[in-house]
Formats: sequence, C-alpha cells, structure tokens
Amino acid sequence: MSDKIMIKGAGITRVFPVPGGEFQALKGIDVEIGEGVFAILRGRSGSGKTTLMNILSTLDDPTDGDVWLGDENVRSLSQRARENFRRKRMGFVFQSVSLIPSLNAYQNVEFALRMAGGRINRESALRVEECLKKVGLGNRMTHMPAEMSGGEQQRVAIARAFVHRPSIIFADEPTAELDSAMAAKVTETFKRMSREENITVLMTTHDVGLMGAADEIIELEAGERIS
Amino acid sequence: MLGIMLQKMWHKKWLNLSLLLGCVLLIATVVSFPLYQKAAYDRMIQDEFRNYIAKEGKYPSQLHMRNISTREKGGATIVKLETFQEQICEEMGVTSHQNIRYYSLATASATSDMNRADGQDIRLSMGFYSDLDQHVEITGGSMYSHDDKDDVLEVVVPQETLVSSGLLVGETLTFEALNNYKGDPVKIRICGVYVPNSEDPYYWQLTSQDMYNQCMMDEKVFREYFTGDHAGKYTLTCHYYTQFEYEDITSEQIDHIQEQTTYYLEKSKYRSVLDEPAYYGILNEYLRKVNRISATLIILQVPVLIMLSAFLFMISGQMYEMEKNEISVIKSRGSSGGQIFRLYLYQGLVLTIVGALLAFPLAAIFSRALGSVRNFLDFDTARELHVVYTEQSYCYGAAAMLVTLLSITIPAIRHSKVSIVNLKQSRAVSKKAWWQKIYLDFVLIGVSLYGYYSFHKNQTDLSGSVLAGESLDPLLYLSSSVFIVGTGLLFIRLQPLLVKLVFTIGKRFWHPASFIAFMETIKQGGKQQLIILFLILTVSNGIYHSTVARTILENAIDNTQYNDGCDMVLAERWDEVVDSNGSKTGAYVEPDYKKYASMPFAEGYTRVYHDEAAYVPLEGSKNQVITLLGIHTREFGEMTYVDKYLLGQHYYEYLNTLADNPRGALVSENFKTKLGYKEGDTVYFSNGRKTAMSCVIVGFMPYFPTYAPEKTDLNPDGTSFTADQYFIVTHYALTRQELGTLPYEVWVDLKDGTTTEEIYNWIEANHYRVKKYVNRNDDLEETMEDPLLQGTNGVLTMGFVVTMVLCGVGYLIYWIMSIKDRELIFGVLRATGFHKGEILHMLLLEQIFAGVLAVLAGIGIGTLSARMFVPIIQTAFASATQVLPLRLITNTGDLHRLYGFTGGVMLLSLAVLVVLLFRMNVTKALKLGEE
Repeated sequence: MSDKIMIKGAGITRVFPVPGGEFQALKGIDVEIGEGVFAILRGRSGSGKTTLMNILSTLDDPTDGDVWLGDENVRSLSQRARENFRRKRMGFVFQSVSLIPSLNAYQNVEFALRMAGGRINRESALRVEECLKKVGLGNRMTHMPAEMSGGEQQRVAIARAFVHRPSIIFADEPTAELDSAMAAKVTETFKRMSREENITVLMTTHDVGLMGAADEIIELEAGERIS
Repeated sequence: MLGIMLQKMWHKKWLNLSLLLGCVLLIATVVSFPLYQKAAYDRMIQDEFRNYIAKEGKYPSQLHMRNISTREKGGATIVKLETFQEQICEEMGVTSHQNIRYYSLATASATSDMNRADGQDIRLSMGFYSDLDQHVEITGGSMYSHDDKDDVLEVVVPQETLVSSGLLVGETLTFEALNNYKGDPVKIRICGVYVPNSEDPYYWQLTSQDMYNQCMMDEKVFREYFTGDHAGKYTLTCHYYTQFEYEDITSEQIDHIQEQTTYYLEKSKYRSVLDEPAYYGILNEYLRKVNRISATLIILQVPVLIMLSAFLFMISGQMYEMEKNEISVIKSRGSSGGQIFRLYLYQGLVLTIVGALLAFPLAAIFSRALGSVRNFLDFDTARELHVVYTEQSYCYGAAAMLVTLLSITIPAIRHSKVSIVNLKQSRAVSKKAWWQKIYLDFVLIGVSLYGYYSFHKNQTDLSGSVLAGESLDPLLYLSSSVFIVGTGLLFIRLQPLLVKLVFTIGKRFWHPASFIAFMETIKQGGKQQLIILFLILTVSNGIYHSTVARTILENAIDNTQYNDGCDMVLAERWDEVVDSNGSKTGAYVEPDYKKYASMPFAEGYTRVYHDEAAYVPLEGSKNQVITLLGIHTREFGEMTYVDKYLLGQHYYEYLNTLADNPRGALVSENFKTKLGYKEGDTVYFSNGRKTAMSCVIVGFMPYFPTYAPEKTDLNPDGTSFTADQYFIVTHYALTRQELGTLPYEVWVDLKDGTTTEEIYNWIEANHYRVKKYVNRNDDLEETMEDPLLQGTNGVLTMGFVVTMVLCGVGYLIYWIMSIKDRELIFGVLRATGFHKGEILHMLLLEQIFAGVLAVLAGIGIGTLSARMFVPIIQTAFASATQVLPLRLITNTGDLHRLYGFTGGVMLLSLAVLVVLLFRMNVTKALKLGEE
C-alpha cells in the first residue's frame, strides 16, 4: 500500500427522473480509496451502492461532482477512452454469472488479457494459470462455466478480473448468490489477491459477516455517506 | 388458464405471429394442392375433349351400340337395348345430352306406281331417325305424318337418295317382297325431301354414304309396323347413340365413368354390340397423364411441407426455450406438467384454428396463383382457374391442421417436464444432436446416392417406363430432396470443425471480438443448426428448383424448335398420273409451286424432298432405313439453324461444303461410327420407291434439323429399346434429277407475329390440299401449355416463394432471439470495456459463420444436386421428345432474385441487430442477471 489515491469521488450527486419529479439517488458523496486497498461499500438495498459503483467505474455519469481514477478525471474522457480505460486498467466481478458460456475457465480468464491488448504467448499462459491457481481452480481450468458451481464460477470471474493486472477492480455483490461459507472463501480470495498484486478493490456487499476483511468500509444510507 | 394463455401470447406477440404465419402457410399450401389439382384437372379434361372435337369434329362423350336383330327374338332384344340405353347416363352418373336411335330395315326392291321410262330397279331401305322432324329442313314436299294413311307409309328422303334413285316427290312405291303385318306388301309414299339442318352439330350420325338409299318415316309408324310383335318378321339394324354432356364432367367422376364403361365393354351382355367410345380412350389418356402429374406434384411439394413443419418446430422450440424459466418457476409453484402442457395445447389450438380460418381463403388464392404460373416465377393473370372447395380439400385442411398442432405442441411435452433442477442440468451438458448420433446425414446421403446410381444404371428402362406412361419411382424424385437435406446436415456437422480450423490457424492473434464469435460458433453450434439448415434448404432448393423448371422448359422449347426444323412445314397432296388403262404410273403432277410466292406471311420458303422410308443396302440382303432429305442449301440454310455447340463447327460450314459438291451428301455421324464410311466414300441408297442413287460423302454431322440420333420406343411386350437413326442430306436438284419429280415439303420461314388464322386463310383461299402441316409456334405454345410442365412450374414457384418468406422470417427471429438471449453477456462485455463496434464485429462474424457460410453451402449443394438430379427429372418429362443433349439451364435472373432476397434478409437482420445493440443499456443489461 502506498499513499497514492486510486479512486476519488468529490461531491457525487446522481438524480434520476421519475414520474412526477426527480429521485436523488446520491447526495454529494465524497470518496477516496488508496492504491492496494481492499474497500467494501456497504448499505441496504436502495441505499445507492450500485449507483455509486456504476459512476466510479465509468459506466454511468454523475449529475454533479467529479471522479478521478488515478490521475485521470473521468469527466474529461471520451466514451471510447473510458471503454479503453475499463478494459485495460479495470477489472470487474458481477453479482450474477458473468462468464462467457462458450469459453472454458482458462479461456474466460485469458479473454480479459486479450481485451486488455495483452499478447497471447507462453508468458500470458503462465499468468492465466497463476491466477486460476491463486483462486484455487488450478485443476479445473478446462471446465466450462456450466460445469462449475456458482462459487467456482465467481472465483473464475475473480481470476479474470485480476489477470491483466488492472489498477482497480470493481466487484458488485460478488457473494450475493453464494452461501456464507463460500462467500467468506471468495472474499478471502479477493482480499489475498488484492494484497499480492497490490490492486485496489472496491466491493459492494450487504453481508455484515464479510466486513472484517475490509481495509476500509464506506457505508451509504439513502444516498448519503454515513461512515 | 385462458387468461394466462392470452397474456402469454400477447407477451410474445412476434413469436406467436410468426407461428401463426407458419400455420397459415402450411395449411394454405396443403389445401391449395387439392384445389389446384381439381381445377387444373377439370380444365385438362375439357381441353382434351375440345382438342378431340377440333381434330375429329365428333361428339366426344358418346356411346354407340349397333345391333342387327335376328328374326327369332328381334323384338325382345330391341326392348332390352332400349331399356339399357335409357339407363346408361344414370349408371354412369352423367347428364344426358341426347339419346338418338336410328333403326332401318334391310334394303329391298320396290316398284313405282308411276310408269317410269327408265324402268330402273328402285332399292330402298326404310327406317326412322329419332326426332328427325326437329333437325331437318324440308326442301320439297312436306314432312311425314305421324299416322299411316290406309297402309301407305309416308316417308321423307334425303336429297342424295332422291337424286341417286331418281325418285319424285309424291311417288308411291310398293315393296312386293316385303309384307306388312297384315300380310300385304309394304307401300310407301315419298312425301318430302329433306336436308340435315340441325342446330346441334352432333345430332347427325350418318354419312352421306349411309344415306344414299335411305328413306325415313315417323318413329311411331315404324314401330307399329316393324317392331314389337312384328319384329320377328324383319331384319332390323338398330343404332343407339347415347350422348352425355362432356362439359359437365369433372375430374372426380372420371374413375366411375371409366369403370362403368369398362364394365359395359368387357363384362356386360351388351359388350358385343358396343363400340369403344372415343371418350374412353381420351379419359384413359387423361388418367395416365394425371397419374404422372399427381405423383410428380406431390413429390415436388414434399420439401416445402417439410420446411414448413420444420419452421413451426423451430419457432415453437424458440418460444419454449425463452419460456423455460417461466415454466420452471410455474412448476416450482406447484403446477403439474399436465397443466403446463394443456396451456401450450390451447395455445396451439388457438393458433391452428385462427390459422385455418385465414388459410382457407388464402389457399384459393394460392391455387389460382399456381394455375396462372406460366413459367418459373412468371405469373400470367389472364389464365383463370375455376377453384372449388371439395370434400377432399377439407380433408387435406384437417390433416394440415393436425400437423401444425403437433408441430407446435410436441416440443411442449418435453418442456412441460422441465423443472428448475433439470433446467440447470440441461444447461450444463451440451449434447450432441440426435441426428448426429445416428449419422442421419450419412444415411440420407447414402440413400440419395443409391437413387442416383440406380437411375444411371437403368436410364433406358426409365425412358421406357415413362413412354409406357408409368410414373417414375418416387425414390428417384425424392433422392434429390433427400440429398439436399443429407448434405445440409453434413455441412452442419462439419461447419463447427471448419470454423475451428480457421480459428486454430490464427488462435493467438484473433481480435477479442473475433475470438468470442469463433468460440460461440464452435461451442454453441447446436442452437444454430436449424436456422443454418433452413438457409441451406432455402438457397439450395431455390437453385435446384429454378434449374429444374428452367431446364425442363428451355429444353422442351429447344427440342420443339429442333424437331420441327423451321417455322412451318407444309406438304400438299399430289395426284398420281393415271395411264389410259386407269392404272397408276408412279409419276405425279406437280402442283403449282408459284402459289407459295403468294404467302403474305412468308419471309422465305424452300422445297425439301423428305423421305423417311429411304434405305441403304447393307451386306447380305439387309437394309438400313434412313431419312433422305433433298435441300436447296442456300434457301434451307436461311431458315434453319443448329447450334454450334451441337455440331463442333458452324452449321453453315457444312452447308457450304455441300453447296460446293453437286453430287455431295452430308450424312449422320453414325455412318462413320456404325457403318464404317469415310469422307469421300460413295454411298448408295434408294428412296422409299426403291429408286437407287448415289452421293459422295462430304461431311458427317451429329445433328441436323429434325434429326434424332436415337429413338426409344416400346416393344410389343412393353419393354423398351433404343434404335440408331440415320440420315442423308443432299441437293434437292440432284434428287429431282435422279428420282424424278416426287411430292416434296415446303419449309417456310414465317414473318414475326404471323397468326395461325392467316395461314389457314391462305390454305383455304388456295384450295390447298394439306397432307402435312407443322407450325412451330403452335407446337411451342402446346409445349408451354403442357399441364405437367405448368403444374411443375406452379408448385416450384409457390414452393420457392413460401420458402423464401419462411427463411426470411425464421432468420430474423433467430437473430433477434439470439441477441435477447445474450443481453447479459453483452452487458458484461460492454462493462468490461467492449466497444459497441466490437459487439457488432462479433455478431457480424457470427452471421458470417452461420448465415454466409450456410448460403455458400446452399449454393454449392443446390448446384451439385441440380447437376446430379435434374437429368432424372428431365427424363420424367421429356425422354421421348428429348433429342438434343440435355442442357442444364440456370437462369441468372432467378439466382439474382434468390441472392438478393437472402442478402436482403441478412442486411435487415443486421440492421435490427444494430438497433437492438444501440438501444441496449449496459447497466440495465447487467441488472438482468440479478433476479
């Protein structure tokens, strides 16, 4: 860990138009997360977690406020540049099954490397294998997503998020569909890899049992940061 | 339940509309078939009858009995025959036109009451002809009365009799040797002279020869004196003519009419007095044609029907696939499989019933369209077909409804068993398709190749059986369809391997978007199988059917053109010169040749000596029959043509060589190959009158206008044989010099737009005694109007159109569903930084792998199957008239339409993809996964 700030949000406000008025999903949120930090964003359903996550990961624009990722002010980036930023310098893990069904575990992980523009060679193969071993799936590399359990699939997704050595990984409720033992295991994997690879992770969850793993906890309630 | 169902249907309205479209098309296609068939066959029967009338000038639907009553039981026989005649129409189930009876006594001598100077013996036959008074005009005297006048019977005589027997009106004649029932000699009085003057051209059955010594009296009077109890005293010749309305005869009556007639002719006790009626032969010929046509048309329809059912299967399968989640959720809440199945059954019923309501009127339109097809994809709305719904069409409709219902609901049986547990399981295992496991593709290809080879081995038998009027072995027809399906399936088996091969070559360098497209195709190929098969079938059937239709027609036209030789051939009847003893001399009086110059419609004309009974003596005492043509080379060359591809060098080069050699001859190629002649050899031959001459061979030709190198014909035992045909072509002037002035043909080059009427007018104006008349335009017209050809073109065209519609709809639906299915994955890809362009790139590649490859495969398979199987189909149509080597005709216009359509469908679906893609919201798509 260093003192470098990887994710910074200042005064983030997000207003959605709703029938007969507006709904303020985020009300001037400030966030700062340092390099290599494993941060958890918590809050109840409807507290604005996912909205904030989408804005920080450039999938959505804030109505007001600014986002910096490393040294880049996201607002100044074109759509195309954001997409390139996402594929090269970010990793994602989603709540639901997000593996490509026609690719096996290995190929799913390798695909993130391809997307990031990495060359496919011996070195890349070693990296893919390394990541899969780190999530404990060294022996299931040729399995298709449909042949794996939810937890296994989610661990493949984690390997995929790390493989191209991004600066930041966003994980939106990655443990929601898992039982608590598996959720703990997945979170532990996450945390370990974040440490080993020195990658900033922002993960949302509403599972209180997982909070212990966090370096930093950001808590939202009704669109406002309460801790 | 109904509410849920309607809600469900509304929710998936596009899928349901497509299903409805499939139902409507399937039912309409099936129903249109009997409708078209009946209408076309009815038209065909009437055409056959009208042709007969035009050619023979006689009433076609007439039964004729002739009985010479014996003296012993004459009266009884007459009663029986009359009763029988009254029953005929009822027994055959036809509408009576009229019954005509004509009875006459044997000719007997009579003496006149007048003192005649000539003293000529008058021989007359008395009789009656039913309803004569309504059908004649009395030109002198008056009509006979209905009573005898003091035992003097009043008769009328035709003009001919009056003249030939030298009778006078008012004269009374006594038959001294013929007594009436009172024992007195029969007396008649000539009260009038008549000429036939009937409004009904088919009333009069007697020729002027029959009439020359006839006198007719009233039927009642005749019966009173000569039939009944008195019949035994006379020898009566009785004719019974039974005419029924041919215009009312429809196709479904034919079988009964023929059965009944066969019974009359072969089994009934009247068989000895019955002549075989004209309609019997006409209808047998018709039935023979119909058998061939029906077999052909049914077989041609099979692929379309299979595609329609496959379409329904595909769409309903797609729907169940989409509803899998809902089904499993409903089940987990306690609904039974049966309830779910019933839900789909009702849905299928609604679709089928609504579909049928729409399909029945559409079927009439279809069959009218079928009937108006003149050529492949060429409609001629002027050709009306009278369409009637029959019991048969309703039966077909019901069967089609059952098929659509089954196609829609059968997949539901499997899906109604799905629960959440086995849904997840089934997603986990990607199974090999059932047909791949049983190697259906190889089996089908094997079967079709068997058909293909057995055809090649038995080509002559095949031509023979077609000549004999048998329909072809359905396997031969079907083999092409089976071949197309088999190779299509084989392609589907190979396609992932092919894609995989390309993928492996550049595995490390593929762009991520290409990478995914490759993997999707390789791993998820199963989902695409049906749509790929659909595309292949559409394109290959399109090409194949277009080739079939065009080839049959073009070859028929080519052969008619070639067989006729030129636009028109005329030959006049020549009078033979008779010497002073009255015996024939073998010399002829040549009719005026100059009159041909007055043909207003002729571009040019030439004399052709044409003798088909000429012969070349062979070793031993055998002769080889040949066709001898004597031509004027320049004139002949100007109006005839043979394509260079048939001859090897230009037609005119042959004619020029002949022109340069006054004693030269062009002979058929088999003179060289079979008889061993060389160029420069002298060939000795005789014409049909055994006058010998010789020529020097200046060239061998494989083809010459009207010449068929081989002729397939039937042996008396029904087997077929093929015989070589020979010809010698030399100068007309030489034949005239060597053989004398003999009847020749005049070959005429017609001006464009010449009508048959103009020709007839000229023939009439010149009192031309026609011996031979060939008109190429008429023959071409007849060729194109051939019902088998028309029906084939109709079915193929409709099949083509229906297939294209299905393919278009199916393809669009497949792609839309495939996108909707993968929204989550696209969301994930977009979130991880995939550009929209890259997603498009990926989908484009997938389209190329599935769509473009399938179209290419379809082109290949269609072309291949056309090469292999069109000659088979051709045999069925025209083996007897096919003289020229078969040319496979592919119409580029058809192909452009086909490619344009498939290309258009692909572009459209691409456009839809782009719209869907740009409307897709990444964050919403991601939410999809979080149920």
